[in-house]
Amino acid sequence: MQQTGVFVKYLKKMSNFEQFHFDFYQSNYTIDDQEEGYNSYGSNENLCGSRKSQMGEQPPASGFAPSEMLLSSQSYTGQILQPMYSPDTLSHLSYPDGFDEEPPLLEELGINFEHIWQKTLTVLNPMKPADGSIMNETDLTGPMVFCLALGATLLLAGKVHFGYVYGLSAIGCLAMHALLNLMSVPGVSHGCVASVLGYCLLPMVILSSSAVVFSLQGILGTLLALLIIGWCSLSASKIFTSALAMEGQQLLIAYPCALLYGLFALLTVF
Amino acid sequence: QMWQVGKRQASRAFSLYANIDILRPYFDVEPVQVRARLLESMIPVKMINFPQKIAGELYGPLMLVFTLVAILLHGMKTSDTIIREGTLMGTAIGTCFGYWLGVSSFIYFLAYLCNAQITMVQMLSLLGYGLFGHCITLFVTYNIHFHSLFYIFWLGVGGLSTLRMVAVLVSRTVGHTQRLILCGTLAALHMLFLLYLHFAYHKVVEGILDTLEGPNMPPFQRVARDIPVVSNAVLNTTAKAVALTL
Repeated sequence: MQQTGVFVKYLKKMSNFEQFHFDFYQSNYTIDDQEEGYNSYGSNENLCGSRKSQMGEQPPASGFAPSEMLLSSQSYTGQILQPMYSPDTLSHLSYPDGFDEEPPLLEELGINFEHIWQKTLTVLNPMKPADGSIMNETDLTGPMVFCLALGATLLLAGKVHFGYVYGLSAIGCLAMHALLNLMSVPGVSHGCVASVLGYCLLPMVILSSSAVVFSLQGILGTLLALLIIGWCSLSASKIFTSALAMEGQQLLIAYPCALLYGLFALLTVF
Repeated sequence: QMWQVGKRQASRAFSLYANIDILRPYFDVEPVQVRARLLESMIPVKMINFPQKIAGELYGPLMLVFTLVAILLHGMKTSDTIIREGTLMGTAIGTCFGYWLGVSSFIYFLAYLCNAQITMVQMLSLLGYGLFGHCITLFVTYNIHFHSLFYIFWLGVGGLSTLRMVAVLVSRTVGHTQRLILCGTLAALHMLFLLYLHFAYHKVVEGILDTLEGPNMPPFQRVARDIPVVSNAVLNTTAKAVALTL
């Protein structure tokens, strides 16, 4: 009976593990000193790879081994029984059962405000060199927020163009994904491209919010639109070239990004 | 059952990516190379006795076609063109890509008939870079609305890029009749396309401009260039002054 009780607890813990698809990637650029243990592990990973499941907010050394084993369990999704796990390692983990002690919702959803803020700052400052590991996690929360913000500011200016925004972003992502796969030696995933393009949409939100205040159809509007397009494409190409190690081809990536953001600007101005 | 569907979808996606890899070597360029080729596309070569080298890359031509689409869209938006059956974007993309792919294939077919030594990728590349002249011309003339200026650009810039393409093709063909057929067709299509782009998407501008510029403007009149002081007028007068001093 005791064994079945342990077994049931074991199963519950396993079902908790299946949910951790979007846990945090402890990247190098935050000032948290808890992450020293993860540095070497992070450098071994592929750029913009498939979803990784890692532990967030863990004590460094003891949590290291289970996270490695957890990664290997990702290839066995569908099988709940993992004989390689022993109950000893499970007790180290700080995700016990119980409703009160469940991890907070944002953590489970993988929304890390700190990371989102870091990436936003990187986009807003196109002159600062970007970290190559910045786009290793496929975070679509920030981009969704920016798309909605763009639609909302367009709505404030009297244009109901939500569908256009989504359609343009989707087609733009597909096209950029194809182009980047052709031009870079390591490939990229759709999520990575969508994430970068979505984050660099932020200056376009600034443009459309200024369209609420004054009309953009004069010379000032054209100049402002050109400036914002340049800003967006510079940020996007900077992040892409640093993430894909394509030195010297930044202009070649910036130009298609500029065309895409130019379409967004056309939507905003007219 | 679902397993089979999933497997079929996966193999379809895989074959799609496998096909994309075929195009990979055509996109391996540096920015300096692209810039050099863009400038070269406006310079007709003098030596037509031995076959000229054509760079078989697709990045530059693809970007130029997309630029042409963007310029067309901008022109259509500023002139408030209304397309009844279809969308602005669809029309622009269809026109530009249709020209690039269609005329390339047609000239490739003619080249096959006339025994010219050129491959499909080279033809796509040549025609794509030839669109650089079109981009410049349309960009300038969609913003400065002078018919005479357009004709000067049409003959000058369009003519230069056509001459370059013609020279390259001539260097790769033997026989006078074949050269004449091939180059005549290409020149005619290229120049006529520029003419079509200018007039089809821009003829609305003249009338609308008069009504749009300023509330004190009298209603729509067919006057020649009698536009009050606004940005376009400034550009127009500048262009006039430049033309007069030349």
